[in-house]
Amino acid sequence: MFQGSTNLGKLEFIKLVESNGGILNGSTRFDFTNYFEIVPAHTLETMLWAEADRMKGLAIDSSNLRNQQDVVKNEVKVNVLNQPYGSFPWIDLPMTANENWYNAHNFYGDLQDLDAATLSDASAFFRRYYAPNNAVLVVVGDFSPARAKTWIEKYFAAIPPAELPPPPDLSEPRQTAEKRASRVDSLANRPALGLAWHVPDRWTPEWFAFGLIDQILGQGRDSRFYQSLVQEKGYTSEVSAGINWGLGHQFNYQGPMLWIVSLFHDSSVPPDSLVAAVDREVEALMTKPVDAATLARARTKIRSGLYDTMEQFSGFGRLDMLASFALFDNDPGRINRLEAEFAKVTPDLIRRTARAFLRRDNRTVYTIVPGAQASAAGSQ
Amino acid sequence: MRCIKALTALALLATPLLAQKEAPPSPGTPKDFRVPPRKTVSLPNGMKLTIVPYGVVPKVAIRLQIGTGSIDEGPHEIQLSALTADMLLEGTTARSAQDISRQAAEMGGTLGSASSDDQVTVGGEALSENAERFLGLVADVVLNPRFAESDAARLRANRIRDNAIALSQPQQISRVRFRQMIFGDHPYARVFAPDSMLSRYSAGMVRAFHARNYGARRAHLYVTGVFDPARVERAARAAFGKWAAGSPPTLNPPVPVSHRQLDLVDRPDAVQSSVRVGLPVADPTSPDWIRLNVTDAILGGAFGSRITSNIREDKGYTYSPFSFVGAWPRTGLWLEVADVTTNVTGASLKEIFYEVERLRSEPPPEAELAGIKNNMVGLFAIQNSSRNGLINQLQFVDQYGLGDGYVAGYVKNVLAVTPDQVKATAAKYLDPARMTITVVGDKKTVEPQLEPYRAAVP
Repeated sequence: MFQGSTNLGKLEFIKLVESNGGILNGSTRFDFTNYFEIVPAHTLETMLWAEADRMKGLAIDSSNLRNQQDVVKNEVKVNVLNQPYGSFPWIDLPMTANENWYNAHNFYGDLQDLDAATLSDASAFFRRYYAPNNAVLVVVGDFSPARAKTWIEKYFAAIPPAELPPPPDLSEPRQTAEKRASRVDSLANRPALGLAWHVPDRWTPEWFAFGLIDQILGQGRDSRFYQSLVQEKGYTSEVSAGINWGLGHQFNYQGPMLWIVSLFHDSSVPPDSLVAAVDREVEALMTKPVDAATLARARTKIRSGLYDTMEQFSGFGRLDMLASFALFDNDPGRINRLEAEFAKVTPDLIRRTARAFLRRDNRTVYTIVPGAQASAAGSQ
Repeated sequence: MRCIKALTALALLATPLLAQKEAPPSPGTPKDFRVPPRKTVSLPNGMKLTIVPYGVVPKVAIRLQIGTGSIDEGPHEIQLSALTADMLLEGTTARSAQDISRQAAEMGGTLGSASSDDQVTVGGEALSENAERFLGLVADVVLNPRFAESDAARLRANRIRDNAIALSQPQQISRVRFRQMIFGDHPYARVFAPDSMLSRYSAGMVRAFHARNYGARRAHLYVTGVFDPARVERAARAAFGKWAAGSPPTLNPPVPVSHRQLDLVDRPDAVQSSVRVGLPVADPTSPDWIRLNVTDAILGGAFGSRITSNIREDKGYTYSPFSFVGAWPRTGLWLEVADVTTNVTGASLKEIFYEVERLRSEPPPEAELAGIKNNMVGLFAIQNSSRNGLINQLQFVDQYGLGDGYVAGYVKNVLAVTPDQVKATAAKYLDPARMTITVVGDKKTVEPQLEPYRAAVP
């Protein structure tokens, strides 16, 4: 998509953005692909023209395709194949915890599949999905909305819609037994533990309760996991946790989704001790209603964190949330209702949500066994 | 957080291009961009305070910068500064570690501490209504740390584990090796302590490091965002007013190596080689600094830059190559960094040097340079449009004594750089014969490819 369009040759889109003082990128996630620019406000019309130009049609040849296959293979190498832990936990856990192929295959792509892609494959994919009736356009910043709408009309209105295939069935069956998996990582020199639970559907009261559970158990140095596993027991220096961990956050996916918790540890601490420490905190949440101070703190963290998410990457975060709510819910205004929904969550709902979703048979435990020789620095 | 930054190959078959191409509509008139003004005052004990009201989001960034770091470590104290910074958050004479964590969270805040070559930073962001309380928390952890032996033991173990994990990453190995080669026996060359050294660090050593190197004369507190300036200034004076002045910052500029060196660290069967190529250049106080940054942007610093266009968009050797000019006291370093497919390691170096030599011998076309300069001006606006971006900018200006004229004149000075100046700057500074090369990769495949680069061609 950066290789050439109707009126812009290879690298010309990139240079158009950069030479106008902007930055650009694009990314593929579980259930959307986005392209974005952050540019000075006075270049808005230029950028709308350029985005429309590439939605109208890409113009690439086999050498461009070959080049991008090589680039993407290098992307997979630098992020996964040549990295210790590489696919842990962000690819390993979805592949293990999910049953439906759409959610359980290696979404980053196998190098052989990448090599097998042809120009006609790419063309068919573009024509099927890169259509205005399958897309949302979001513009945020300092401009006149009326003028922006005129330009959007001018450049996008004539692009024909595509006949969209029926959406795939992404649903996951209810998990009924704990899953365990492990792999030896030949580049890693310390063990690691990852856990995943399937989370409630978006926009349900339980989903908001789960967002608070994430705060109480997993976010920040005041969280219960940090206090227990880091501060008290000294098992690790950090516990990472999050809904949509590694690829986004609670507000930019359609689902189904996992809550992933992960940490690195020493070989002297067996994974079962770590899991037991996690279980103690999870079980406390299932049995004892959270106290008022803990709930208030979790809500404050959510509020503060929402500002951070919206400001992320020069305002891209807000753009991304608006695009997600527009694309998945046809309701970008939901961005303004999140805090109120979190405010409705009661201690009792948190306890019920914990019981329903943090149950052991809704969980996957994944361990990394280090396969690298001890480094020159030695292990303890 | 890990991100897939994918400029991917979601590409499409050629549309016949028979009609004449349409040109993009011209942009409108640029709006003015001014970095928000700051107020900087000195406290009687020598500490500086800078406040910049900025933005509309009800948050505040509060960051204390202290002029210490690896620079103050002896050869047997590697990462003692980092451990000291870690220990700050483990309790004060008045607050337990748990109190600190809980109170920061209650303020919608995240409190952190970190140590680098010559700066320790302590602080974070909080909701605006808690600005003064958060400032008080920052002051407490810096001025009154508890430094308990039991915490030191736990944090040592964390450092040992985190070091081991870092050193299993090829980019980190490459970074460490490059620093060793370019900084020689200077403290900047020492990144990770061996386990045996770390294991010796006691709470007493941490306390001594803190007593020796933390003090008001070395400290500068920055506050940006939405807050009440008068109240924050009052709170800062109250919280830090009694802090002892302490000693001035250590001045020990490195003398980086400036001749061809090459080292290959074996990582058997690695599918990529992690490559660094670089050399000492001028520091930020030099009149050449802005020209060096423009030269770097055209060479490798932007997505549309020459090296990236060549080894990524033309050859497909790599995914995310980049170059930059880094700043240290009395020296800069220019560096190109790339993870390239193993069997084209030598070919990648060839193309990197080709692009360097091309810029040294021919002035860039006016249009190419204009595009890059516009990009830098746009990035300047983007980077200075966040609370922490502003602090980064002002801290850089203050650390190198550049004065606010640097910020005010940045756009004008970037736009004034000419094609001949870029060529002259590349010719003056970016001599391949003086570059250090480190490669972390599969030795049996890569070593023969590196042979031509071992010695600089005379």
